[in-house]
Amino acid sequence: MSSVPLSVYLVLALILFCIGLFGALTKRNAVIVLISIELMLNAVNINLIAFAKYGINPSITGQIFSLFTITVAAAEAAVGLAILIALYRNRKTVNVDEMDIMKR
Amino acid sequence: MTLEKLLSYDWGIMAPEFTILIVATLLSLMDLFMPNKTSRKPLALLGIAGVIIAIVFSVLQIGTEPTSILFDTYRFDAFALAFKLLFLVATGLILLLAIDYEGEREWEFRGEFFYLLLTALLGAMMMASSADLITLFVGLELLSISSYILAGIRKNNLHSNEAAFKYVVNGGIATAITLFGMSYIYGLTGSTNLYEISEALTNPAVEQNAFLLVMAFVMLLVGLAFKIAAAPFHMWAPDVYQGSATPVTAFLSVVSKSAGFALILKMFLITFLSVQGWHNAIILELQPYIAVIAGVTMVVGNVVALRQRNIKRMFAYSSIAHAGYVLVPFVSLSLLVFKMTWFYLLAYLLMNIGAFAVIQFVTEKERSEDFTAFSGLYKRAPWVAVMMAVFILSLAGLPFTAGFIGKFGIFMSSLGTGHYVLASVMIATTVISYVYYFNILVQIFFRKGEVDRLLPSIGLLIVMIICGAGTIFFGIYPGAAYDFFQEFDMNELFIK
Repeated sequence: MSSVPLSVYLVLALILFCIGLFGALTKRNAVIVLISIELMLNAVNINLIAFAKYGINPSITGQIFSLFTITVAAAEAAVGLAILIALYRNRKTVNVDEMDIMKR
Repeated sequence: MTLEKLLSYDWGIMAPEFTILIVATLLSLMDLFMPNKTSRKPLALLGIAGVIIAIVFSVLQIGTEPTSILFDTYRFDAFALAFKLLFLVATGLILLLAIDYEGEREWEFRGEFFYLLLTALLGAMMMASSADLITLFVGLELLSISSYILAGIRKNNLHSNEAAFKYVVNGGIATAITLFGMSYIYGLTGSTNLYEISEALTNPAVEQNAFLLVMAFVMLLVGLAFKIAAAPFHMWAPDVYQGSATPVTAFLSVVSKSAGFALILKMFLITFLSVQGWHNAIILELQPYIAVIAGVTMVVGNVVALRQRNIKRMFAYSSIAHAGYVLVPFVSLSLLVFKMTWFYLLAYLLMNIGAFAVIQFVTEKERSEDFTAFSGLYKRAPWVAVMMAVFILSLAGLPFTAGFIGKFGIFMSSLGTGHYVLASVMIATTVISYVYYFNILVQIFFRKGEVDRLLPSIGLLIVMIICGAGTIFFGIYPGAAYDFFQEFDMNELFIK
């Protein structure tokens, strides 16, 4: 039906994943870091869905897996933000560079 | 799915999991309905009771045939049972530690700690006995997300906040990397069942895409190396261990790490063992890289521990080093890999939780986490000092302790398979580790400190006695543990 080959989806997912990883490792704002992690997890979803349709053995399992991934990613984001809020209340900062009180 | 199908499953094999689930739910409800200013400590006793019931169920299950239910996503076999027993015993001991944890203001009135510990345990147990990527992932995340909250549970403590945030970010990245690897494996095989994957990976179409498979393998390894805090992915461990409450640190360093090892063994040995790489089986081709990870982990853990003054940070690096030791049997892949790993994890459980019990005792009395807090401990609490000496000698791997037997077994198995470099790295780093371990002993026995007597509370005392007795018993008579392990037929893992 569609003429877009599998490799295009995979490359898109890989690019998204790399952007996410880059953001998570370099950004100073903690919220952006959490968003970058979400980006990485969404890259996984693209992979799973693409494989579920165009993979070597296409099957519905990939879509099911992506549902689980989405759910768990939401839980993880919620916990991450809650921890960030607790941190912000005590430190009045969301800057990752300033979270270095333990050992310098 | 019809009701008959649902009822036809042999739910009895999930009895330990159900016990933990029910107790965790019960605890969360009780916490909800208890008056605000009532101590939550009795909840821990209920938790311990639940863990003991689960242990009884698990022991009764020994010798049961491997069974799988829920469309083969949950699989009961000897491998899962052996690891589940480790997790259960460790969590029981940690709950005992937690009863006596003083913490800061309001700590006593917070019940979350106890049921989050149980949900984390549930995640670890699911990881050990799932046979499907989806359930593996959900178990892994149940463990991880619970531990993120546990790390940050002292919400008015700056260190704890920071530790939790670092843990979330690092853990999130690790999860994403693991999942990305899993998605490639799914793509190459079209299945998420570990056993179907291992069959589908022998398909010639997979061999043409061997680079994807290698990438998937490496990404899985990276993601799981985060979980067990192996170098170079160990950087989160010292901060998280230092910032968390001591029982949480003990949990992370023992249960979380053992679960990571169970997952690594399970995933790689089931799916990748028979898969061809370019020239050889893929797991053999990538073995040198895992060996490098193991070696670097041992060196980094032990060398950086030398310059730590904070006792929890020092033990974080020590636990990194121990992850390196436990990786060695996985690298050498002899027939004894399960036995060696299991026994070492058992010894590590006893000595590390014991050591953390003493650390909790001393840091709370002294209100300091500096390792000089231990000075003169022998004068102040002689029996506690002797216990600590036993744990430290075991961690350092001296004879007549469980740590020695475990390390010796790992060392011999790596020699037997010709990994001489790895074996010598192991010996060299063990010698380095004597320096910081004995530093603590010097503080305890030869330095002068305060003179007032200290008495451990009953929970801590029980943990110290159990762990101390276990460490010495398995050091002198390791046959007991090995015989017990013979009850578990690890070949069940490979039979579909």
